[in-house]
Amino acid sequence: MTGLVQFFAIPFGLGMIVIGAGIGIGKLAAAAADGIARQPNAADKITGAVNLPLFLLEGVAILGEVFALLVLFLGK
Amino acid sequence: MMSVQEIAHQAEHTAAEAGQKFDASKVIIEHVSNAPEHPLIHLPRIFGIDFSVTKHVFMLWLVAVLVFVVVVWVVRRYLRQDRLVPSGFMNALEFVVEFVRDEIVQPNVGRKWVNTWTPLVLTFFVFILCANGIGLIPIFDVVGLLDHYVLHTAEDSFVKHMIHGGTTATANFNVTAALATVTFGAIIVAGTLAHGFVKHWKNLVPHGMAWPIYIILIPIEILGMFVRPFALTMRLAANMTGGHIAILAILSFVFLFAELFGRAMAGIGVGLVVSVPLAVGISALEIIVVLIQAYVFTLLTAVFIGMAIHVHH
Repeated sequence: MTGLVQFFAIPFGLGMIVIGAGIGIGKLAAAAADGIARQPNAADKITGAVNLPLFLLEGVAILGEVFALLVLFLGK
Repeated sequence: MMSVQEIAHQAEHTAAEAGQKFDASKVIIEHVSNAPEHPLIHLPRIFGIDFSVTKHVFMLWLVAVLVFVVVVWVVRRYLRQDRLVPSGFMNALEFVVEFVRDEIVQPNVGRKWVNTWTPLVLTFFVFILCANGIGLIPIFDVVGLLDHYVLHTAEDSFVKHMIHGGTTATANFNVTAALATVTFGAIIVAGTLAHGFVKHWKNLVPHGMAWPIYIILIPIEILGMFVRPFALTMRLAANMTGGHIAILAILSFVFLFAELFGRAMAGIGVGLVVSVPLAVGISALEIIVVLIQAYVFTLLTAVFIGMAIHVHH
């Protein structure tokens, strides 16, 4: 059981976290690049608006990672 | 941090069983952890809390003293000169102060409260930036090298204790938890100053809804109150630890491959072709991460304080 958690569940969870965060950050970056391409002089405002959701998203990803590692360390 | 200590102990046991074999996890954990079993200064336990000065505590004091001395010295020198135009390091300091005030605090907190909250956010920014930046410099590893080849100090000297463990104070979850606790308090104080004590707590949930919604909403908002500083804690500490782990893991390839093939040349070849270029790349990335994480922590602090002041419901 421990081996299953260690060698399957935790890497699987970490992979899911990466997929989720990757989709989120990718959509954000794509929309920001699109916006800047259409309106180059609004680049500063767009960057500012993108920053906050980006950091919150990153926070969720890191929380998931920390909990996955906690399961690994405490599950022994 | 109990889990890390246990892992460190387990890693030591397995390394002792395997003889002199290179153990990457032991090296990494020893570098990253606080190494409470090798304190720099032994102090007695008071109320069950170990007050010994460990690596991260030492780094924390070093950073605090450095920031305090440098900033006070520069500002005093500026105040003593007879013209208003800043010179030298004061220019950089003014740039940082104006950046934090105009780019981080004012857009989130608003013009009315900007002078109340800039000092706190500025302190966070300068302290976290210096702690992160000093963590990038391998001070203790250089000290260890110097000790090994030049100084030859005794087995339990101050220097020998110094070369166990990591060097970034903000990579310790306890340090960032303390910083986030200050943010937690600041959010409540900001709401109380702007709206009064009772109104601040009422502002946490939107007004004028059917009462069954509040049964779900109030626990969620209370949970959210604690999750925000927790996310701040984890983000900063995990980012700072992650860089160290990545660099060490990549540099471990040198020893792992040398052991795998039984000759030193294999390790040196892997080191020259893969490890050193990748480690240089990650170090360059870490310089950006250091700046971004200091910015993120202060920005989110300002955003949360602003959310307590300007309630959107």
